[in-house]
Amino acid sequence: MANWHLLTVEILTAALGLGLLALGLLVPHSDRRGIAYVATAGLAGILAVAIGMREASGVVLGGYVIDPFGTYFKILFLVAAMLTAVCSYDYVEKMGLNQAEYYALLILATLGMMILASSGELVSLYTGLELMTITFCILAAYHLGDAKSAEAGIKYLLLGAMSSAIFLYGLSLVYGSSGTTVIREIGQQVATRGASPALLLGTIFILAGFAFKVTAVPFHMWSPDVYEGAPTPVTGFLSVASKAAAFAALVRVFFGALPDLHNFWVQLFIALAVLTIVLGNLVAIPQTNIKRLLAYSSIAQAGYLLLGIVSFSVLGVGAVAYYAMLYVFGNMGAFMAATAFYNNDGSDEIKDYAGLARRSPLVAALMLFSLLSLAGIPPMAGFVGKFYLFMSIISRQYIWLAILGILMSMVSVYYYLLVAKAMYLGNPPEGSKPLQVAPGLQVAMVVSLLILFILGIYPTPLTNYAMNSAVTFFMP
Amino acid sequence: MINHAWLIPVFPALAFPIIIFLTRRVRPLSALVGIAAIGASFVMAVGVLREVLLNGVTMAHPVEYASTWLGIPGLLKIEAGVLIDPLAAVMLLVVTLVALLVEIYSVGYMHGDPGFSTFFGYLSLFSASMLGLVLANNYFMIFFFWELVGLCSYLLIGFYYHKQSAARAGLKAFVTNRVADFGFMLGFFFLFAIFGTFNFRELAAAIPSYQNTGFLALAAALVFIGPIGKSAQFPLHVWLPDAMEGPTPVSALIHAATMVAAGVYLLARAFVLFASLPGIMLLVAYVGGFTALFAATIAITQRDIKRILAYSTISQLGYMVMAMGIGSMTAGMFHLMTHAFFKALLFLGAGSVIHALEEQDIFRMGGLYKDMKVTVSTFVIAALALAGVPPLAGFWSKDEILAGAFDHGFTGLYIIGTLVAFLTAFYMFRLIFVAFFGDRRAGLHAHESPLTMTVPLVILAVLSVVSGFVGAPFVSHGFSSFVYYGEPHHIEPNYGVMLLSTIVALAGIGLAWLLYGRPSDVPARLAERYRSIYKLLVNKYYIDEVYLWLFHRVGLGLAEAFNWHDRHVVDGVFDGVGDVTRLSGHKLRLLQTGNLQTYALVIFTAVVIIALWMAAPVLGGVIQ
Amino acid sequence: MITLNHYLAVGGLLFCIGLFGALAKRNAIAVLMGIELMLNAVNINLVAFNHFLAPDQVTGQIFAIFVIVVAAAEVAVGLALVLNIYRRRLDSNIDDLDWLKW
Repeated sequence: MANWHLLTVEILTAALGLGLLALGLLVPHSDRRGIAYVATAGLAGILAVAIGMREASGVVLGGYVIDPFGTYFKILFLVAAMLTAVCSYDYVEKMGLNQAEYYALLILATLGMMILASSGELVSLYTGLELMTITFCILAAYHLGDAKSAEAGIKYLLLGAMSSAIFLYGLSLVYGSSGTTVIREIGQQVATRGASPALLLGTIFILAGFAFKVTAVPFHMWSPDVYEGAPTPVTGFLSVASKAAAFAALVRVFFGALPDLHNFWVQLFIALAVLTIVLGNLVAIPQTNIKRLLAYSSIAQAGYLLLGIVSFSVLGVGAVAYYAMLYVFGNMGAFMAATAFYNNDGSDEIKDYAGLARRSPLVAALMLFSLLSLAGIPPMAGFVGKFYLFMSIISRQYIWLAILGILMSMVSVYYYLLVAKAMYLGNPPEGSKPLQVAPGLQVAMVVSLLILFILGIYPTPLTNYAMNSAVTFFMP
Repeated sequence: MINHAWLIPVFPALAFPIIIFLTRRVRPLSALVGIAAIGASFVMAVGVLREVLLNGVTMAHPVEYASTWLGIPGLLKIEAGVLIDPLAAVMLLVVTLVALLVEIYSVGYMHGDPGFSTFFGYLSLFSASMLGLVLANNYFMIFFFWELVGLCSYLLIGFYYHKQSAARAGLKAFVTNRVADFGFMLGFFFLFAIFGTFNFRELAAAIPSYQNTGFLALAAALVFIGPIGKSAQFPLHVWLPDAMEGPTPVSALIHAATMVAAGVYLLARAFVLFASLPGIMLLVAYVGGFTALFAATIAITQRDIKRILAYSTISQLGYMVMAMGIGSMTAGMFHLMTHAFFKALLFLGAGSVIHALEEQDIFRMGGLYKDMKVTVSTFVIAALALAGVPPLAGFWSKDEILAGAFDHGFTGLYIIGTLVAFLTAFYMFRLIFVAFFGDRRAGLHAHESPLTMTVPLVILAVLSVVSGFVGAPFVSHGFSSFVYYGEPHHIEPNYGVMLLSTIVALAGIGLAWLLYGRPSDVPARLAERYRSIYKLLVNKYYIDEVYLWLFHRVGLGLAEAFNWHDRHVVDGVFDGVGDVTRLSGHKLRLLQTGNLQTYALVIFTAVVIIALWMAAPVLGGVIQ
Repeated sequence: MITLNHYLAVGGLLFCIGLFGALAKRNAIAVLMGIELMLNAVNINLVAFNHFLAPDQVTGQIFAIFVIVVAAAEVAVGLALVLNIYRRRLDSNIDDLDWLKW
């Protein structure tokens, strides 16, 4: 008898996604806004269920693992999806397309991430990954009136498919050399039989697949293009949630199946982390488009997250989990501000942000503090997150890596402040009006701003949860 | 009272949201909330100091209590705690007192400013962060508040954000301080890496017996970068003169009690770290001495009243850092305290003048003493204190530093210190003679400031006179047996040093009188004669220009280079690869690749490179 | 006698051919076909591993079916996107998709 109740969150999410599709057919066109509210409320409900299940653990059908780690990430995805949904109200309405499909896709992408974060078995892992990727392709190309959006979609699809082909090839090699697709059993096989060349090659391919999803340099090249072309809320969602999902699955695979090979793959992650942090931060400097800037900044953030993987410790994994959560608020905050700005002015250029502080103090403040959090300046949450990540590698004696990371986060302050400079020092263009921001979005903005401060000033509860969820991977 | 000391920063911290969210529209109420909060903190600080004195809390036996702020069992423990020893108690008093007076003063100064309420909110937050910093019992916490102080200063310096220069100055302060904070952060991370704790007392217990001094010295040097930035030491001093773009009360707060004092306070808190490393101590001493001299020479030629005061602050901070470097924490902290009073007074006085005239160039002032008796007389008292004329406060504290340098055999530093004392007296009285005496310039309508502004001036003036006596050498059980490092010690009065510094102070005032006391063309002729030196000084040794140049060349250049590299080299290389393959007859149509396929190619190339890299040891084994 | 290694070699070759197509073809549809080949190469691997290593279980075969399903979905979305772009630009060349770049 399978313990289906553990799958409550997933089942509800699937039901919500499919239900919205059906609802979209029933509801008259004039009343489509209601669907957006149903989607948000549904997500909020599922979030409540997920929080209620945060301590649940168990294995469903031999290969689907419910544990605090997975649930932590599910909560993260749901929060991100909610923020994205709120952020999308006006944006989607402006595109004038079927809204039900948009929110359904958003929710199905969330479902894909959940499966990705929870599967303890390669087939479902792959299915979750593809569910997420394909829905994101559609979402990225959702802006039918915009050729850039279509280009973003096709680029993401083709590159994503190629990378998942590599990933899949790696999975097949790992399956071939261990005879099983269950991650825990692979771990046992590796522990008893040691590593074969096929397994090592498979590991490299899998790593490449994950590196693509988390936008680690040199697998990052798709991300600036896709981020720029995709609808802004989708970009926000893509940059926080899909990255977090990939990190969750990465941790599951590498810490669950291949811990005995960590001397082997940690070196690879070090190389990736260094390249990612350096390139992401440096190339962000000359960017003039806010979405491209955030794309490069989020590449750099992925580099910091990789540091947690490098440390191969509870602290490191906990730090990744913690950082991923606050990154949701930091990055979504910036994207919410960008969306609000786009809804009013139709521009993503940083120079058009001049004088934003006087046109909308809330949007400017949200952008400023989100960026400061990304830069890791106390008392913002980002500081605590970076601190954990750096601590985790310092405790593993990678001091040079910490120095590099801190140095590059200094660099990041520079380009983040360029945006701040435009917003606070520039003069608003002649005849510009105060920004109109929908009340729902305003609420989401204030909430995420508050959370950024709260997580920075009193991080203990979330930290404890993150660290406890990370312990799973280091239990004998 | 000590057990509730954690409330001291909480009052103003609470005032901040109350003012910003609730009382913003009701101006008098905002001011009242701000002043009440800092007033409560002040009362508590007095209570804490009283208990420290009565209950025998000493440097060796402080009161500490903490709870875990962040804890990961077995890996990491960060406390939120309070450490109260005489050092902290004195700082608490100084900070709350100056902040209180500044807030009262601001009621008059900011009257009619559209940002009146916000200003009090920021001031409250600023004071709260500084008080939190003072109470911190570990490096992590001190860093947290340290950054918060930096953030607030950014807000306050850039308060008139619609003014380009103010916004720029705010940004400059922020960025310069980030550079310094980076060093500081690395430094205490290193300490954590060595000792596994952030706690001051645990570190103090562990550091003296640690053997690998090389690594420790590196950590100490990195930690020292923090005070270099925050306390505006050479070469990161550039933000402080620009920081006067903020409203004048903010300058007073920054220069006297909050921001810059944080650096010196950190040196005192981390004194055990520095004291165990003679080489680093020497570095600290000379950085301080050099800064003191360097800034004093710049101050001679400046025309803007706040700028002169700003450079004088840098110079005096140099004194304090130098005192720390020669091993006399007592002297450094003593000077910090007296300086806080008279520098706050100087800035508030300057603010009063600016408030009355809307003018900052001293050469366009003149004859103010007739109209602004309170402002001018308190200003003169403060200037006398700063110049080190006995028996005012500055004399005793400065003298203790000089005596310390002399007694410990730092003759070079002693000479520098004495020279700086001379220059200080000179530039302060240049300011006074030019701005306050002489003929009244036409078209100036000076008037005395309202009571809310003059009362704080008078209080500070009294403090500038008397606060030195607590540490005067003839007072037994004075400051030196209260705030000290190691064993309490009593410095014997060194009458030779005292006499000499009195003479140089008077000589400086005399020279200023000769050159500026009456109308003469001597200064202009001197400037003409030593034109190059004069230009060098007026332009502050061109440090700003050099930084700007460096920043543009190196910073942006590097970024451009990387961007260019990404645009051209990466694509170019793959075009090149295409060429090679085509030449070899393959129809691998790489040259026609669009971007998308270039990306894909990069991905696959990376996989292949990684595979080869990982396979290299294996393949090597096969070949052998 | 055909061994596992033969199958793996075929799989590897097919993967490389697909990769070549995906990298070298200009037409987006051809690129999609290249990707399909790569996925099918994986299917060969999976089924071969299943057959030779654990014939009594069907994990590998099921995995292959999942891959086929996912690939179909991927192609469906891909074709829709290509169609959309073609309608707009009368062109399905990958090279011309460079409105978004560094």
